[in-house]
This record gives sequence, C-alpha cells and structure tokens, in this order.
Amino acid sequence: MNATLGYLSILAAVVGALGITVRGFIAMRDPERANKGYLGLPVILFLSGAVGAIFFLELGLLTDDFSIKYIANNSSSTTPFLFKFASGWASLEGSIVLWGLVLAGFTFAVYARFFRSQTGDRLAAGALAIMGLISLYFFGLMATISDPFARCVQTFSDGVGCVTGENAILANVISSPIEGRGANALLQNHWLMALHPPTLYVGYVGLSVPFAFAISALILRTTGADWLTRTRNWTVFAWMFLTAGIVLGGLWSYEVLGWGGYWAWDPVENASFMPWLVATAFLHSSVVQARRGMLQSWNFVLVITTFALTILGTFLTRSGVIVSVHSFSQSAIGPALLIFLVVVLLGSLGLFATRAHTIASSPRLDSLSSREGVFLFNNLLLTVFAFMVLTGTLYPLFVEAFSNSTVGVGRPFFDRMAIPLSFLLLLAMGIGPVSPYRAASARVVWERIRWPFRVALGAAALAVVFGYGNSFLLLGVLTAVFVMGVIIHNLYNSAGIRAGKLGIGRRQAAVRIMRGDPHYWGGQISHLGVAILALGIAFSANLSETATISIDAGDTVNFAGFEVTYEEAFSRQEPGRFVTGADITVTREGSVVGKYQPRLNQYGNTRESIATPEVDTMFTGDLYLSLRSIDPSTVVLEVYWFPFIWLIWVGGFLAAAAGVWGFAVKKPERSIVPDDTRV
Amino acid sequence: MSDSIRKIVAAVVTIGLAVVVVVGLVQGDRTDEDRARSIGSRVKCPVCQGVAIADSPSETARAMMDVVEERIADGWSDRQIIDYFSERYTDSIVIDPPFSGNTLLVWLLPILAVVAGFFMIFSRRKTPVPKTDEVKQ
Repeated sequence: MNATLGYLSILAAVVGALGITVRGFIAMRDPERANKGYLGLPVILFLSGAVGAIFFLELGLLTDDFSIKYIANNSSSTTPFLFKFASGWASLEGSIVLWGLVLAGFTFAVYARFFRSQTGDRLAAGALAIMGLISLYFFGLMATISDPFARCVQTFSDGVGCVTGENAILANVISSPIEGRGANALLQNHWLMALHPPTLYVGYVGLSVPFAFAISALILRTTGADWLTRTRNWTVFAWMFLTAGIVLGGLWSYEVLGWGGYWAWDPVENASFMPWLVATAFLHSSVVQARRGMLQSWNFVLVITTFALTILGTFLTRSGVIVSVHSFSQSAIGPALLIFLVVVLLGSLGLFATRAHTIASSPRLDSLSSREGVFLFNNLLLTVFAFMVLTGTLYPLFVEAFSNSTVGVGRPFFDRMAIPLSFLLLLAMGIGPVSPYRAASARVVWERIRWPFRVALGAAALAVVFGYGNSFLLLGVLTAVFVMGVIIHNLYNSAGIRAGKLGIGRRQAAVRIMRGDPHYWGGQISHLGVAILALGIAFSANLSETATISIDAGDTVNFAGFEVTYEEAFSRQEPGRFVTGADITVTREGSVVGKYQPRLNQYGNTRESIATPEVDTMFTGDLYLSLRSIDPSTVVLEVYWFPFIWLIWVGGFLAAAAGVWGFAVKKPERSIVPDDTRV
Repeated sequence: MSDSIRKIVAAVVTIGLAVVVVVGLVQGDRTDEDRARSIGSRVKCPVCQGVAIADSPSETARAMMDVVEERIADGWSDRQIIDYFSERYTDSIVIDPPFSGNTLLVWLLPILAVVAGFFMIFSRRKTPVPKTDEVKQ
C-alpha cells in the first residue's frame, strides 16, 4: 500500500514538474500568463507529489513495512524511532527523495514569492521553468533507476533484508522479508547524523534558485543586475544552510568517529566544500556588480559553476566512483548523474556563450587598490581554492582511469595548498571591508587598519613570549586577530562619530549603523565567525596533545596535566545495540574533572564495533577520550587534549547564522544611511 | 605628549612587536613530535580507507608511527623515512603526491590557475587614473 501510494506520488510529482516546465516556458514568452493562476496547478501537484513521496516513505519506515526493498535494507523493527525516521534519507534512494522534497519546497517558495500579486513576471516564470526541468530530472530518477518504493521480490535466505526489488505497480510476486537489516551503524550512533544531511541539502538545493534565475535571465537577454539582486536573499539563505551543514558534518565527524579530527579532505567533504567556495565567491562578486556594475559575465560563470559543483558533489558521493572508477559502472545512478552534469554544463555554458554579446561589458576597474580590487583578489583566491580542491579530488580518478596506476592525493597536498590560500583570504578579509571603492590610497587604508594590526602583532608577540613559536599558530593568531580587530575597530569608531553627531550613546549608534546596512554588517559578522573559526583551527591543530595510553584496572596514568584512572569495565544492552565501555575518572591536581564512559557500540547488523568517544568541552579546551580496546583488566585509550577547539564550532555557526542579519533585518525606512558613514 | 612623539612611539612599538613576531616565526623550530606527525600524515595506513597513519587508531598504523618516531630519534631525514615506507609498501603508500612524474600536474594546475587569474585581473585594469580618493570619510 505504502509502496503503491508512494510511487504514485512520485508519478504525480513528475507530471507536476513537467507541467511547471511547459507552462513556465510558455509564461516566459507570454507575460499575460505569468501569474499565480496559470502556474498554480502544476506547482501544487508537484509539491503534493514530493510531500507524498517522503510521507509514504516515512510511514513505511515507521510501520516497519519491509515489503519495500529500501526499508528492508535500511531499517529494522528494533531501530529507535529517531533513526527509523532519519533512515528516510540515510541511503541512496531515500536521499534523493529528500533532495526532491527540498527542491519542491524551493520551487513552491519561488512560485509563492514571485507571483504574489498576479503580475506578469517573465524572469520568475522562466526561473520556475528551469526549476521544473531540474525537478523533472530528479523525480525521473526516482520513477526509474532509483526507485525508493521498489517492492521486494527476493529476500535473503534468512528472511532478513531484501536482495532484489521491482517497481511497486509492476511487481507481481512480492516476498516480504520478516525483518529489516537495520539502519547504518554510523547513522544510528549520533543524532547529529539526522540533522547534517537535511541541512546540507537545503544549502545544495537552494543554490539552484540563483542558477534558475541566471539561466532565465540569459534566455530573456535581461542580463543586468536584476536577476542577481532579486535572488540575493535566496543565495544567502542557501549559503547559510550549506555553511551550517558543513560545520555540522565536521562536528559529527569529531563527536562520533573517534579519530579526534573534524576535517580530512575526504572526497565526500570536498564535494560539499567546492560549491561552498564558489558560492562564497559569488556572494562577494555579486556585491561588486550590484554596487559598481562590474563582473556581470563573471557572476553568470560563478553561479553556473556553483550549481554544476553541487551536481558533481552528488555524483561523487552517490555513484561509488570515489572508491574506485571501476565500481562506478555498478551503480546505475552514477552515469545518469554524470550525463545530467554534462547536460547542465554544456547547456548553460552554451547558452551563456550565445548570450555573451548581450551582457554589458564591465566598466573598467579604476584601480586595483580599491574595494573592488580586493574583491577581485578574494574571488581569485576562492575560485583557485575550489579549483585546487577539484583537481586534488579528481586527479586520482583520472590517473586510475587512464594509466592503470594509482596515485594518492591526500591531506598533505590539500593542507599545503589550503594553508597559504587561507592566510591570504584572511588578510583580504581584514583589508577589503575598510578599503574605499574606486581608489583606496595606502594612507587611508593604513589609518583604518593600523590599530587592529598593532593589536594582532601584540597578540602574536605575546604567543612568542609564552613560548609558542609554531609558525602556523603565529600566522593564524596574527591574521585572525587582525580580522576581528578591523571589524570591531570599524564599528567602534563609526559608532563614536555617529554618536557625537546625533548626541546618542555609542552602543545605540552602533546598533543603528548595523541596522542601516544589514548586508554589509551581516557580512562582517560572518567574517567575525570565520576569524573565530580560524583561531580555533590554529589553536587546536598546533597545540593539541595526544597519546595512546594503556591503563590497568584501578590504575592511573598522567596525560597533559590530567590524571586518568580506569575504574572498571561495563557492558549493557541498549535498543538496537550492545554497548561495551569503561568507567574512567579524570582528575587534575587531585580534584575531579569528570567521570567518563567512552564506549564501543556493536549494532545487530554489523560485526565491527563503532567507538563513541567522550568529549568534555571545557573553557580552555576539549578532553577527548576514545576507546580502542577493552577487557576487564586493561583498557587502551586514545586521549586528546584540544585547546579551544570549541572556537571552531562557535565561529562556524556564527558565520552561517550571520546571514540572518543580511535579510531578516529590515533597513529602518526613515534613516537612509549614506555609505560614507560606514567606516 | 605631542603628536610627533606619539607617532614615533607608535612606530617603535609596532616595529618592536613585529620584530618579536618575526623572530618567533624564524625560530619556531619543529619538534620531533611535529615531525613525526607531519611524516605520519603523509603515509597512508595500509589497512584503513584513505586515512593517514597519524590519523588512524588501528594497530598497524600505531606500529608504523612507532617506526617513524624511532627513525626520527635515529636521526633520519623526513625524505629517508618516507622513502623507507614507499620501498616497503610501493609508492601508493605515500598520500603526499610527489612534485614529479604523473603527479606533477596536480601541483602545477592550481599554480597555473593563480597565474591565469592574475593575468586576467591585470589585463582588465585600465591605465592608471589620477588618484581621486573617495569622498573623504
């Protein structure tokens, strides 16, 4: 029942998406029809279909409907509620259903937002048509090669899980497994895994909105700043979720995987980082176009690239190509995604080429030493960064495909490339926002950065005096404190001037200034977040301590100023898993810091056990205990001390959340703030 | 304090701090621990999936890290230790792509991108205009 209804929902969504595409393109030519009534029916049908698909998938999961292959292989009757629910997007077919739902949500939002007043908006109608096309592709996948509602036609011999499935409507001999194989062990291990993928998807899919508007603008030859300013908030919104999704992924890796790290330049991580980098470049260069009319073509290139990178990311993570190019052919969805990627790239870049003459040529740059100049530099750094990540991620695949030999491109390559790029980006982040447009004289800029620069030098000098001579740490402190200093100094100073003019308090003046230009100050808060994050990376990467310690029961071992005592082993049955762990007491100079229970979890469906580390976040840093092996007499622990690593999460989420300031804060209408009071 | 004295003091303090930082940067010697970590992050753990021995809790990786530490204590250079592993486990044990052979391109491409980018930026620039500072702020 669930399978049939779910599959019918997908078909409804396909029809709806087709309707959106056809009617969208018609309305694009005929503004009389670009209105709520004409486009409403297919949009509602599409949204209902997408909601129906996830609804029946979740219903099947929560009611243990193992006649559906996906559910039989990704859930079980003993899986806890939250993880049954999250299994809806834990595996390939389900994740595409979630993708489709988010896409439908954005399509509806575009429809509802732009056709509010029944007006003929050809640009938005075209954008809707493009979103319809994208939707058609993804729901087409679900209806064919990636069917989440395939009925099980052959179970495994023990009746647990499903070997093959067939289309819900066409299948005639259905054999329902008696039990499901259970959720992915890593998914079940932590609630963050329920949160991380949807957040990332909202970011990924949200970036299709500016893409759709850009393509619509190209088709209509209205290549001015209109599409860009109208989708600005959408881009910021998607970017926020993408940022938060990436940070959540890092946090999950850190809290769950037990290796003490949060970023490994793993291809799956890179897949989310590349579109982030280009989207960030786009956010910045769109400011230049909005203010100075420059970089029009470049913005099209960036927005197309961003979207293509989200598809590439999906391809990389979903096709099996990462493990080896040879496993690629085993999954039908890989080639389908690759073809889509090629179509998107050829189609949109081809369109761009035929429209290039309609794009007004940029006014030339007055001087490289100006705000625009720094923006250009920032764009160069971010796109080169993305290109470097792309090269490093794809290079082994190409070598393997063409030469039979395998090469490794791993963390050292990425680190070596990323570290200088990051320092340069931080430097630009400090100087750019206080450089005047058009032409910035060195004197004016120096006046605005000299105090923050001195404070940053002082902070780094202090680190030297206290004996922290590591050069990455020093450069990290120098650049991060500099960025923070510039932002705070800038606000403090201009608030002082404003307060003097209006005879109000400095704090009140600061709030007014920040509300007066929410885009700029949203960006500045985001920069502050990035600087805090950079500081967190600098501290935790360069000052961390780690050791593998083996402790006999009742004994104590010293580590990084702590005394670690192994009290006893314990084991217990929990819903869906068997837990083995150690009771550990940690003291410092005799007083108890905490009692911890690092564990190994064994899930019913897997042999290997998964470690759950204990992470105690204190102000000065994290004490991180990960269990390697245990028996009643001895425990082997991986212990880490990460100073101030929480700055990474605080900074990362602040950077993401700052976007809210950009579009939630409305400019007060009465005071139009002249730009020159900004600094 | 007169204005010029203040300026001089500020300059001296700035330069002084800069000197301290630069000295710190130059003197920041790598400890043996740093070296072991950096070497360990360049060698792939043979029994794991794409993780370096410095990042893997597996026993093989730990044993290999012990080897790294011993060799450092014996005075081997980074290069020698890396070569030692690639001889024993073939070249693909090294995650760090060498700046030669069939991995030369992976290093060169981003560098070329930077050069191309700078070329594009500079070719956009028109002949310098007379300096007109933006509205005095």
